[in-house]
Amino acid sequence: METNLEYLKTVAATFSEEIAGAELDTPAKSEEFRIRFLGQRRGVIPKLFKTIPDLPKQDRRSAGQLLNALRKEAQTALESAIEQYRVKVSNASDIDLTLPGRRSQWAGSRHPITLALAKITDIFKHMGFAIAEGPEIEDDWHNFSALNFPADHPARDMQDTLFVEEPGEGRAGAMMRTHTSPVQIRTMMAGEPPFRLIAPGRVFRNEAITYKSYCLFHQVEGLVVDQGVTMADLKHTLSGFARAFFGDEVKMRFRPSYFPFTEPSGEVDIWWDLPDRPEGGRWMEILGSGMVHPNVLEAVGIDSERYTGYAFGMGIERPAMLRYGIDDIRIFYENDVRFLAQF
Amino acid sequence: MKISYNWLSEYVAHEYSPEDLAHALTMSGLEVEEILHLGPSLDGVFVGRVVSVRPHPNADRLTLCDIDLGTGELIPIVCGAPNVAADQRVPVATIGTHLIIDDKVLKIKKSKIRGQTSMGMICAEDELGLSDDHSGIMVLSENAVIGEPLLDYMEREGKKLNDTVLDIAITPNRADATSHIGVARDVSALQNVPLKRPVITIPSDGGETTQRIKVDIECPDMCRRYAAMIVTGIKVGPSPAWLKQRLEAIELRSINNVVDATNYVMNECGQPLHAFDYDRIAEQRIVVRESVKNEEFTTLDGKKHLLPEGVVLICDGERPVAIGGIMGGENSEVDETTSNVLIEGAWFCPSRTRKSARALGMSTDASYRFERGVDTDSQAWATTRVAALIAELGGGSVTPGIVDAHPHPLTTTRVDLRVARVPKILGIRIPRRDILRILTSLGFDPQEACDTISCTVPSYRPDIHLEIDLIEEIARIYGFRQIKAQQSAPLPVSVPVTRPIDLLRERVHAYLNGHGFREIYTNSLLPDEQALQFSQAVTAADYPPVRTLNAVSRSMATLRPSLLPGMLNVMQHNANHGRRALRFYELGHVFHLSGHEAAFIENYSEYEVLLFGISGPVRPQSWDGSIPLADFFDIKGDVEKLLSLLNLDFLQMEPCVEPTDITAHHITLSVNKKWIGTIARLSDEIQAAYDLPDPVFFATFNWTRLALICEEQPAAVYSPVPRYPVVERDIAMVVDSQQPVGAMINKIREAGRKLLKNVDIFDIYTGKGIAPGKKSVAFSLRFGANRTLRDQEIDHVVQIIVTTLSTQFDAELRA
Repeated sequence: METNLEYLKTVAATFSEEIAGAELDTPAKSEEFRIRFLGQRRGVIPKLFKTIPDLPKQDRRSAGQLLNALRKEAQTALESAIEQYRVKVSNASDIDLTLPGRRSQWAGSRHPITLALAKITDIFKHMGFAIAEGPEIEDDWHNFSALNFPADHPARDMQDTLFVEEPGEGRAGAMMRTHTSPVQIRTMMAGEPPFRLIAPGRVFRNEAITYKSYCLFHQVEGLVVDQGVTMADLKHTLSGFARAFFGDEVKMRFRPSYFPFTEPSGEVDIWWDLPDRPEGGRWMEILGSGMVHPNVLEAVGIDSERYTGYAFGMGIERPAMLRYGIDDIRIFYENDVRFLAQF
Repeated sequence: MKISYNWLSEYVAHEYSPEDLAHALTMSGLEVEEILHLGPSLDGVFVGRVVSVRPHPNADRLTLCDIDLGTGELIPIVCGAPNVAADQRVPVATIGTHLIIDDKVLKIKKSKIRGQTSMGMICAEDELGLSDDHSGIMVLSENAVIGEPLLDYMEREGKKLNDTVLDIAITPNRADATSHIGVARDVSALQNVPLKRPVITIPSDGGETTQRIKVDIECPDMCRRYAAMIVTGIKVGPSPAWLKQRLEAIELRSINNVVDATNYVMNECGQPLHAFDYDRIAEQRIVVRESVKNEEFTTLDGKKHLLPEGVVLICDGERPVAIGGIMGGENSEVDETTSNVLIEGAWFCPSRTRKSARALGMSTDASYRFERGVDTDSQAWATTRVAALIAELGGGSVTPGIVDAHPHPLTTTRVDLRVARVPKILGIRIPRRDILRILTSLGFDPQEACDTISCTVPSYRPDIHLEIDLIEEIARIYGFRQIKAQQSAPLPVSVPVTRPIDLLRERVHAYLNGHGFREIYTNSLLPDEQALQFSQAVTAADYPPVRTLNAVSRSMATLRPSLLPGMLNVMQHNANHGRRALRFYELGHVFHLSGHEAAFIENYSEYEVLLFGISGPVRPQSWDGSIPLADFFDIKGDVEKLLSLLNLDFLQMEPCVEPTDITAHHITLSVNKKWIGTIARLSDEIQAAYDLPDPVFFATFNWTRLALICEEQPAAVYSPVPRYPVVERDIAMVVDSQQPVGAMINKIREAGRKLLKNVDIFDIYTGKGIAPGKKSVAFSLRFGANRTLRDQEIDHVVQIIVTTLSTQFDAELRA
């Protein structure tokens, strides 16, 4: 291409006219304009800039100024067009702002049991508890014997056990775990004290399904084993939990009870206001607990003279039903969207 | 276990009201679940004096009475009783009183009876629930004070009308608390007052009784002790009112004076007793032995049992007459013709009793107590006590002496308590004198040595073996409330870190929630046929599902091998309730027999599964366009995004268009040939079987394995973000219409090598301009590098890609 300053001036003048006359009333036209004049690869102005090194030295400065001015014109035209276009859209008065928003998806949700479980585990995590899990099919040793349930003892009747078929002959019976306590045993077998953990999970009872009982439910188990752990520590943990879960005003009581794997054993009740009842409410049992029985520690090879510990366990469904005012446990497993959407 | 407040109070002089007693017992380990108030309600019934009696002008049988209730004015009452007379003191139900007559509530109102005003009712005993007497109004003694509540008068007269029954949930360790004396012992310890056990003189072993009955115990481990006494010349008949009242209070039906006496003593001291008709006992002999398999026996409730081996049988010289510890037999039952009874007070092995009771499907008041462990030293006491009572009630006489067979001598156990151990467990110091007081009142006979207290375990506490058992006894009586919660706790040395699997779960929840999925919880137990149908649905493995052995219903027969049937049930439920858009997910365990997965319990494989599924419209209705139904590529896209989120894009995908029993078509996801998951369309047959209107698509993963793979991924390392522009090129290739596009994409990736950053497909076209049997696939290619790419470079790579596609797939560049 023949290049000299005069030629550049002529071309610039032509482009300048074209720029001034361009009708940039749509975004598409503006984009076309931008590519034609300013585009990195094919734009005419960048192309003209590329010719500058071919000019005589004394003309290069003027050519630069000339092209800078031209570029400025193109940019200004483009910017004002975009500005105009933007103003036009945002000033449009025919938009109906009351139309519902476009939803790319429905709302999803977590199951209320997951939410209650998360709330409970969250509290214990803040108290320094780790999380452990175990299988739902268990053997007699983990579910009962190691937990100090004697064979043929009525303590086993406290938990209606669901047994499963045994593939091999002469094997000890397998069963659906009746509580999450076997996770205690598995964890203690696998490590050395100190332990400070909770074990959430699904447990099974061989019961008919009614509004107040289901063949399975969910539990959170807790275990602390260390030197110098006492019932005062247990009470500390449990009252801390109750206040965090039910609120600082919660009224609770701690009374003796019995579990084969803890001794002394205790249950925690909280007072639940029921304005319809003459007494104004009632005590609701929310968890069982106690000091880990020395037989349990010895079963997993821990010196029960040196170490003491406490354990606790609570159902998830019951406190969830209390909190939400649910009177039929089956609704958790029906999974009606009109129920799930409430949480 | 029902405990009568009045009855209990005979054994301990406590100061508790019924409510306070319930609270005190609850807070010391005997949880009172319910407080029942018994007896007539006499609220509103007062003592009145009949001032005058006049005939009713309009009725022969009625009289008009003026009653003085001490209020200063006389009250007119119309009365129908024949025995009403002036100056009598009578119970008067005033206006507003509720009386319960024949189970119906009668509210006393001001009324007119044949034109005469009546402002209350003079009551007969039956109308007050005091007796069945309706012969006339109740006439009170001169001691009755005019205007006082009737209840006060009755109590002053020594008639306890009301009782309170505490329903106690006995924990399995507290065999000792299955009786009124047992509970009273706790009360005596709580109140620090003595226990008043009835004083009985037990005859010494021998005497005439031993000539009239012989007892042989062939299984002394199963029956450690058997005491027998005989009462002769009695008349079997109804029990007196006091006995009926005692039993009815604790909800036992009165049967006859003999049976009632045994029940009474059992509930007094905890020792189950049985009375045989002595004349129906062959050879005047009792043999205690274990059953052989398939022996037949009919219990006194008329039920015939085929016995398993090892049931303890009480036999006479010829045949079994009772199942030891569970129930007597029909063949030796006491009835109205009985005049001589043989009384049994025995000790049966707890575990054997439990086993037999379960095998026979029976649970009786006796087996309940024997299973928990009856006092090993209460047999002679209770037998003597009931013999005397039967003789008294039936007008007979007790044969002198007693048979007290106990082949093994009674042993006592001693347990030492280290005083220093108490605060190490309980976290509080309990004064030594309190420890001694509690142990003494519970019967442990504590003997002090320097650092230990040596205790003798009483025969009624079979649950006490160890020091820790004593510490629990001390704690529960001293009171848990005395244990003060620690005010602060040390921070553990090792701070627990959230496990990777929990973080992962959290991300998946958030992802699925954000994509409109609702979490569900379904039953782990399925009907057997449903479990079988779905057992190989998705794992492509042929492991049988795990069946349960003793499920209470057929709908809970088998453990779920897959989460899919549960989700289909939920989809069906919601579809039936008018919901078309169905998007659900579940995380839960599934089970197989034997296994491909490292098992916790040998022969069972168990792992966690993530399942999500969709059916119906792909997104909510909108005002600017129609919404298509979800299809395979919606679920596939959800899976791809999820895998990308988890940095698992490298999973292999193996498509399969062949239908299976469950799926119409599916993609298998794997790593190193190990199954990780499946994306599938449900077969039309199953969709129809669950009444679902729209196609169902689902994705399922072995979550346990997936989480493990995520965990094994190297931690992310930053790679610099490219600063240079990317270049896009589009190419459209015409190929055979059957050609899978996935293979083409893979080849493009190979051919594009390092410069090619991304391949997308933006159009698949057949029709005008494309030869029949062909399709045009339009790829959008994105190139980039850590420098500015030159046009020629890209042209060159595109050319390689086009050539590769041409040779590999017989593709042509679309003009």
